[in-house]
Order: sequence, then C-alpha cells, then structure tokens
Amino acid sequence: MKTNILLVGGRSKAKSLAISLTHKGYHVTAINENYEDCIKLAEIESVTVINGDGTRPFVLEDANAPEIDIAIALTSKDEDNLVICELCKKKFFVKKTVALLNDPKKTDFFYSMGVDSVVCATSAISNIIEQQAFLDKMATLVPIGEGRVSIAEVPIVETSPVIGKKLWEINLPKQVVVGCILRGDTTMVPRGDSRILAGDMLVLISSNQQEVEAIKELTGR
Amino acid sequence: MQSTGNKKADETYTIVIGCGRLGADLANRFSDEDGDVLVIDKSKDAFRKLSPSFGGLTVVGDAMDFSVLKEAQIERAHLIVAVTDNDNANIFVAQLARQTFQVPRVIIRLYDPERECVYHTLGIDTICPAILSANAIYKILSEKDGQPS
Repeated sequence: MKTNILLVGGRSKAKSLAISLTHKGYHVTAINENYEDCIKLAEIESVTVINGDGTRPFVLEDANAPEIDIAIALTSKDEDNLVICELCKKKFFVKKTVALLNDPKKTDFFYSMGVDSVVCATSAISNIIEQQAFLDKMATLVPIGEGRVSIAEVPIVETSPVIGKKLWEINLPKQVVVGCILRGDTTMVPRGDSRILAGDMLVLISSNQQEVEAIKELTGR
Repeated sequence: MQSTGNKKADETYTIVIGCGRLGADLANRFSDEDGDVLVIDKSKDAFRKLSPSFGGLTVVGDAMDFSVLKEAQIERAHLIVAVTDNDNANIFVAQLARQTFQVPRVIIRLYDPERECVYHTLGIDTICPAILSANAIYKILSEKDGQPS
C-alpha cells in the first residue's frame, strides 16, 4: 500500500513538495484555502486537491485524514500549523506530523504539544544564507539537528595550505572531525596519520557553527 | 482582601486577550470589581471600547509572541481569557499559557465547537457562542410556549 501524505497550506512549497513526493511514489493529498493555489496543485498528476480550511475537522475528514500516514502543515501562520497537527494527531490518529514554523522561539513549545517534527523556516534559511555568504562555492553544507550540527563537503585545491600534511598536524577546531576523505574513486575513513593530498574531498562533521573556521583552516581562504 | 503575599500566584491578576466587544466588556467588569486586569490587542484602536473608568493596563501586540506575554507578566497571571476573533490564535495562546507558563485557569472562545475535543484534556475551558445562543433562543421559545397554557 502506498504511503499517504497530507499537505496543508503553503503555496510554492506545497507544489514543489507535492511534485517531489509523487515522483517518489507517495500518494499526496493537498488542502488549500486559496482556490487559485488549488488549481495550480491540481495540475500535478495524481494529487488529490481539496479547497478548504485545513484547521477545520470536517475538511480534514474530507481529505480522508484517518488514512493519512504523514501530515505536513505548511501554512504561513504558526497557530494554524499547530492546530492542524494537533487535530491530525488527536482526532484522526495520524502517525507522524510535521509543522513549519516561523518563530524559532516556539520550537520547544511545538514539540511539547506533540508535533513530531518542527521545521523552522526562518532559522534554517538564515543559516544557509549566512553560510553561503561566507563560503561561496568552496563547500557544500548540510545542516542537521536544527542546524546545530552540519556536515560539510570541502574540496582541497592545489593552493590549500594543508596539502601533504597529516591530519593531526592541522589545527582544526575541537568541535570538528574529518569523517571521510574522498580520493578519486576510493573513500577512506581517516586516522590522525592520514595525509591530505590535492584533489581530495574532505567530509567534515562539526557542531556549534565551527565549520567556517575549519574550512578556512583547510582551504586557506 | 489581600492575597497571601505569594507573588507567583497572584489571586486577582487576569489577562484578557483580544479587545473586541466581549474582551472589552469582560475587562471593564474585572476592573469594576477592583480586579488587577491587563488587556492585550494587536490594534491600539481596539482599546477605545474600554470604559473611561477602566483601571487596568493595556498592551499592544501579538499575544502569540513570547516577548508580548512576558511584557504582560503572564507568569503572574491567575486567569487568562482569550477571546480574539481567531479560534486558532485563542487555542494557541491557551496551550502556551497552560503548557509553558502553567497559568491555573484558561478560558477561551471558540466559534467552531468541532475543534473542542482536542483541548478539554489540557484543562482549558471553552465557550462556543453558537451553542450558547441556540440554548438561549430555545429557552425563550420554551418559556413563551409555556405561558398561555
């Protein structure tokens, strides 16, 4: 049986999520209050679209909420997203609920009210912008754990000051480890005496936003 | 009558959220009974509905914002009445008050009674205007019917 996913609200986010999820083989139902947004969502093949207020129990019922496996609340209002998740959870027993949140200070409150996963758009986007502004193509960063930890891919170019050095000779911040070295077609989990060569790709795992310093140390920029 | 002097459990301090007709009327009554009352509304103009003799405080802001609730000294509140015209906002504030700030009594207005099932477990009292009105009309009708006989 297909996994049923419910998307409530959200304009472009709902559409791109719906496209991506249907491609991955999930069945997507979308609820949207705005009629025009509904028409746009209905352009996607095999998505069920319902025009209505997703914070109302009977609208959720129309969306067959009891059969939903994952409910994702994407509206622009924090209070609506909380109510959507709570109704899904407590009235329709949806297994997993995800809420988009604008105000990062409310993250703990959302978790304490039983929302399974809280995505804070504001802090996630500002983190990414900050990282992009500082690093500009030098590295790819993936924030995890609400941005407290990040995994970074750092290419070692020929001008890098660390070429030929052993890992323990490099002065990396304490909160950073090199988790993997990608060299050509091989991957290796490095030890302290592993040497870094030009053309290597290092995978860094760092916490407490130490990655910028580490990347500077590795690339010399 | 003074409370026991415990600052945290202020026996009379009430916060009214939403200064519409209902919110303003409640705030006026609490104030008339010499209660310690504070009203929050997004719009400054809403406070015009308060009577000239209103002796409480007002705060302009969004009650879903932590900083506004702190400014209103929510941790001191004994009772919160959330009567904005937005059901979900009332629900949100009520849960925040109960869960995060442990306010002893919370009463909210909900236009849509269908959502109620989710909240009664949290110790939040809800009132629904449609149900109250229907009851009142029904009562008037049954009294009228009863009179001639």
